[in-house]
Amino acid sequence: MRINPAYYFLAPAVLGLTVFKLIPIGIAVVGSFYGTSLMGESVFRGIENYRSILSDPDLLSSLGITLLFNLIANPLQVVLSLAAALLVFRPGPLIGLFRSVLFVPVTLSLVLTALIWNLLFDPFLGPVNAILEAVGVGRQGFFKDEAQAMGSMVWLATWRGVGYWMLFMLAGLYAIPESLHEAAKIDGASWWQRFRHITLPLMRRPIGFVLVAATAINMLFFAPVYVITAGGPNGATDFIMFRIYQTAFNYIDVGRALAMSTVMLVVVLLVALVELRLLRSED
Amino acid sequence: MNNRQKRAAASFLRYAVLALVAVVMIAPIVWIAISSLRPPEEIFLYSPQLSWRTFVPEKIIWSNYEMLLASDFPKAVLNTAFVAFVTVALGILICSAAGFAFAVFDFPFKNALFVVVIITFIMPFESIVVPLYIMVRGLNWNDTYFALIMPEVASGFIIFLFRQFFAKVSRELFEAARVDGASWWRIYWDVALPLSWPTVVAGALMMFIHQWDAFFWPLVAATSQDLTMVQVAIARYLQFEQADFGRLFAAMTVASLLAILPFMALQRYYIRTIIDSGFK
Repeated sequence: MRINPAYYFLAPAVLGLTVFKLIPIGIAVVGSFYGTSLMGESVFRGIENYRSILSDPDLLSSLGITLLFNLIANPLQVVLSLAAALLVFRPGPLIGLFRSVLFVPVTLSLVLTALIWNLLFDPFLGPVNAILEAVGVGRQGFFKDEAQAMGSMVWLATWRGVGYWMLFMLAGLYAIPESLHEAAKIDGASWWQRFRHITLPLMRRPIGFVLVAATAINMLFFAPVYVITAGGPNGATDFIMFRIYQTAFNYIDVGRALAMSTVMLVVVLLVALVELRLLRSED
Repeated sequence: MNNRQKRAAASFLRYAVLALVAVVMIAPIVWIAISSLRPPEEIFLYSPQLSWRTFVPEKIIWSNYEMLLASDFPKAVLNTAFVAFVTVALGILICSAAGFAFAVFDFPFKNALFVVVIITFIMPFESIVVPLYIMVRGLNWNDTYFALIMPEVASGFIIFLFRQFFAKVSRELFEAARVDGASWWRIYWDVALPLSWPTVVAGALMMFIHQWDAFFWPLVAATSQDLTMVQVAIARYLQFEQADFGRLFAAMTVASLLAILPFMALQRYYIRTIIDSGFK
């Protein structure tokens, strides 16, 4: 029998994806039904891990915080990345430079982004407070203030995210036939009318893609929480992924951490299914 | 206002907004870079009170970088560079091969397999960090270069980009080479891969930046001093050596520049590849 040559080309990648992406999902699901006894042995616990995490008020508040973050950050990133794409879409002097500049924060790691904004937003030493004081707004607590910590996280994620999503919005804008705009212009349509009736309807798919892809990333927001707030102040930034990290590596309650991971995987994969339909319906 | 005035006003507004946004995007990084050239005791001397000194150092010194060179940071840079280069070399090879297969061949379960590829790139890495750690520990790979490199080699997103590229190349080109008696391996290596060099550049850049910026995985999978990666090293400076801000700022500047410069040099391919890949 002749083996289809496709398999030779696919084998290494499929092996890699299976071992490092799919098997871990299996480990998460199976391990979520186990716990560790006092003797350090693995024992079957059934759905006990799930029952305990779903009745844990701290964890539910963590989920609430993560959802709130997504409800603010994701629409904000969609709107701003579309606006940025519109600003740099038409050619003009220096536009290419602005496009690159908007993209620069994307190349920074989340850790660097977190460190930079933690320093800039420092209540006592940070230059942002110096500017705010000079213009008469007054000094703010930012990450150190329970009421402002979440907003500061949204700012940080958006600062870094907008340039990336802008690329996908640009891809969408390039796909809109120029003739549509020309025809509308001849009919005397204003900029807003053209945006509202041509651009926006035809951008539904990239907007949907960005919304869902941003959700998949922001549901598991971690590094800035680890670096800046460690969940504080007073639990204001106790994101779910930070809790999973603590449960697994500080409290060494692996079964529980895996149950939490599994719940989040299901959430993210549900989101992914929506995304997949968006990508597919396009071919 | 007549039409020309209107257009001029719109153009002015456009550039004003862009300039403002550009300042917000760039100023933080510039402030870090400038501060890294100040003596440590001066770094926060002028930042609480706004003055021109907030942005202009009294005198420029390089001692923060000399201290950084003498620390364990160069080793972290070399570690990360090694991990990134190996990941890029292996990753481009196997991802382009898989993308080639998806674009050129027909085989059973092709669509189902491609759906799996897409799911793996949508699935955030964080969501499987704990089970992946358990598996890697089970293989006795924790605290090895294997643990840092192997999970990142097969990337759903890079496979997707190659598939999109090869799908646009006329199949007749490959068929013609086939008629001339070339093996599929030769066609892939001599025809397809060289043809896809913009995607190779973009994919390599993505994988390089991904490894350069990696934090969560190295944090849990490679805890020994010898394997410290750049981002973990920087996060540690903040946590354990609060006093040493000069070194922290220098390290942040180096880490930023080493991600920004390759990107700036190669961004054309990066942006084109995403725009051409059919995310529309």
